[in-house]
Amino acid sequence: MLSNTVKTELKRIAGEGNVSFSKEELLCYSYDATNKLHLPDAVVFPSGPEEISLILKMANSEGFPVIPRGAGTGFSGGSLPVNGGVVISFEKMKRILEIDTENLIAVVEPGVVTWDLQQSVEKLGLFYPPDPSSLKMSTIGGNIAECAGGPRAIKYGVTRDYVLGLEVVLPTGEIVNTGVRTAKGVVGYDLTRLIVGSEGTLGIVTKAILKLLPLPEVTRTMLALFDDLKDAARATAAIIKAKVVPSTLEIVDSTSLRCVEEYANVGLPKAGALLLIEVDGNVDAVKKEAEAVAGVCLDNGATDFRTARDKHEVKDLWKARRAISASLYRVKPHKINEDIVVPRSRISDLVEGLKIISEKYNVLIASFGHAGDGNIHVNVMYDRKDASEAANANDAVVEIFKLTLGLGGTISGEHGVGTAKMKYLEMELTQAAIDSMKKIKAALDPKGILNPGKIFPAAEKDPALSGALAN
Amino acid sequence: MKRLELLRDEIDKCVRCGTCRATCPTTKALGIETASPRGRVSLVDAYSKNEIGLTEVYLKHLKECTLCGACRSNCPNGVDTIAIFASARAEAIEKNGVPLAASLVFRNLLDTGGLMGLGLKLASKLQGLLFKDSSAGMGLLSRFSLPLVGSGRLVPPLAKTFFLDLPEVKALSGVESKSGRPKVAFYSGCGINYLMPELGSKSIDVIKKAGADAFVPQGQVCCGMPAYAMGDIKAARAMALKNLEELERADADFIATSCATCGHGLKRLMVDILSDEPELKARAEKVASKVRDISELLIHELGFKTGSSSGQKRIVTYHDPCHLGRAQGLREEPRDIIKMSGNATLKEMKNPCLCCGLGGGLMYNNYELSMDIARIKAENIKNSGAEIVATACPGCMVQLRDGLHRFGVSAQVKHVIELL
Repeated sequence: MLSNTVKTELKRIAGEGNVSFSKEELLCYSYDATNKLHLPDAVVFPSGPEEISLILKMANSEGFPVIPRGAGTGFSGGSLPVNGGVVISFEKMKRILEIDTENLIAVVEPGVVTWDLQQSVEKLGLFYPPDPSSLKMSTIGGNIAECAGGPRAIKYGVTRDYVLGLEVVLPTGEIVNTGVRTAKGVVGYDLTRLIVGSEGTLGIVTKAILKLLPLPEVTRTMLALFDDLKDAARATAAIIKAKVVPSTLEIVDSTSLRCVEEYANVGLPKAGALLLIEVDGNVDAVKKEAEAVAGVCLDNGATDFRTARDKHEVKDLWKARRAISASLYRVKPHKINEDIVVPRSRISDLVEGLKIISEKYNVLIASFGHAGDGNIHVNVMYDRKDASEAANANDAVVEIFKLTLGLGGTISGEHGVGTAKMKYLEMELTQAAIDSMKKIKAALDPKGILNPGKIFPAAEKDPALSGALAN
Repeated sequence: MKRLELLRDEIDKCVRCGTCRATCPTTKALGIETASPRGRVSLVDAYSKNEIGLTEVYLKHLKECTLCGACRSNCPNGVDTIAIFASARAEAIEKNGVPLAASLVFRNLLDTGGLMGLGLKLASKLQGLLFKDSSAGMGLLSRFSLPLVGSGRLVPPLAKTFFLDLPEVKALSGVESKSGRPKVAFYSGCGINYLMPELGSKSIDVIKKAGADAFVPQGQVCCGMPAYAMGDIKAARAMALKNLEELERADADFIATSCATCGHGLKRLMVDILSDEPELKARAEKVASKVRDISELLIHELGFKTGSSSGQKRIVTYHDPCHLGRAQGLREEPRDIIKMSGNATLKEMKNPCLCCGLGGGLMYNNYELSMDIARIKAENIKNSGAEIVATACPGCMVQLRDGLHRFGVSAQVKHVIELL
């Protein structure tokens, strides 16, 4: 609970119309795409870093949590106010401040929707590649906090590869500028990279300097169908081995295919598995690469290979691809949604292992995702009302993580740890690694007021991090 | 809470993925979660579980929705958001009662010849005192700041003589069909009757030219969509019943309308709202199966064709009414009419199916937000470079005229059949 003094101060700082304490409005800031609900005590819509700085200073002196939030579409609980507190919504800080066509840079406020930025730069022949499936609603700030990836990561990398510099409000209220607006820069520690992917626990981003590329001349979108998921996985590895770097190489299993076709109704064929492949670049290179991809797919058991005819077909395919995750609820009311990554050459082993786990625990596992970079979205489907199925689903997840780590992978490629994966953190990281991260957190946020209850499972027990939680 | 309890599974189906944020006109206009479908579903969810009451804040956000259906069409999980929001509004009306002004309007729209008719006829005579003609000639500008109207707002003038009162229309009430020609009952709806009788007359002309016999059932009343949107299910049901009886009596081959909302009201709402009685439902389905939007009638039923190009071609863009494109799946037909007109070049605007901002009672509930949405629409129309924005719904026409006027865009607003 916030004291009346704090409430009055919040109104003074952000302006009466930019703060809400009403339960109805707080409810709308209590969830994200994990569908878990935690009511905050206030939501504030700041207009700049100075306001946020004042709020953070007050949070330190008064002891309340502060939780930054973009569009609330994260899959790991990064924006959930698990201990209440003040949600800082960036929905009103959404200006594109600058698109510098000479230096290929964009400067934006964190509330800009990723898609809107892409549309704006593409009009100028430029390209901002990171493309999480949520790109039409998620924000640059949220993308930076979670280091969002997407299908294009295989060729273009993830959000971190496009962040040159940031304006950040530190948990103790100082406003700092990290990084550069040049192509290179090594002065001091790379605080930019530290902030990107820190899930809003080390600082609040208020401005981002982003790297842009020239927009590829053409993109060709192709579909390859397979009877078996294993064949599709093999074809994926074969494409990489053939030294083609597609801009997208997505795999979709039969369950995902069925669910999403039910939703999107775009005429996706029934198949054991599907690969959605894009190559981009100049006309000649694209033609050559597309031919190579077709050859490799057919050599590896593709039963059908098609090229999208026009931009409407491409749009339909992407609409379908991006809706897979949510459409899976058509088969079961609940799911555990993981985004593991394995080395690209081990995708076949992963697919084989998932099949065994699915049978062992008698749970449906739907898989789809960025096969090209080894990042597969594994969805363990279950019904919460069925206690034994729910227990099996949980056990299956642990086994999936063991399998992933055994193959040399990681338990999260692009969603982050948040609250969803924190209990598994120790499976991947050593105690020494976790301790060093906690020391960084404690150094920057000694009172633990910024987005508490995330990433580290034992946070509550750690006196260095529990300042605000004790209240 | 009964209405919402029936929708429990539907409400639970929302997994809060947030996909709807990208398509909702009010989210686009305001950018905040309380103005998003996901936020509204969460509010209704909390209300249905007694976590919040029927508070002012709750009702404010519930009423911000235009019921355009974009979220429903794009929901990966297929959540029937429209049913949730409409039921929540109905629930609120049952508890709080219908707002007085709306109640008066709905009660009178039930009876076209009654009080409302008289009141509106009087208003039609007096409107010159309160309004002046806009320079663009598209409507009336209020001379003073009026309650419910505000100053500087472009409101459509009430017709001097309502469509259903036109002598030539009255004469059409009992036309016998000539042999072999399809018999088409024209349903005007309120927009055409009170505001745009010339659009009704044009519709009749076109239907006749296309080789059918048109007549106008005189006992028709409002389609019920405005009452439904406000949550006044009782009024909407009474209207549906009255129309059912009148349209059954008409015994036509087709029932045509030039209003997207009326078309949806007769095809879908009439059936849904009467489905509590199996016998009524069957009768409503039979009548609904004859209902056609005018573009659908012309193209699919009457095989309408026009002559070749007549003179200079003008650039026309098309606005998809939510109740035609999304609700009835009619996107190509009105565009075909534009192409057929012979004097237009169709140029698409960005996001033609974005709601105009009038729907769901928003123009009445929250005019400012309604205009925030109209601003986006006006900008898209302006950027298309079109001289004319054509659409297929008198409601959208009223809103587009107001929005274009307000934001200084010079494009003219027309119904697609006015291009013929």
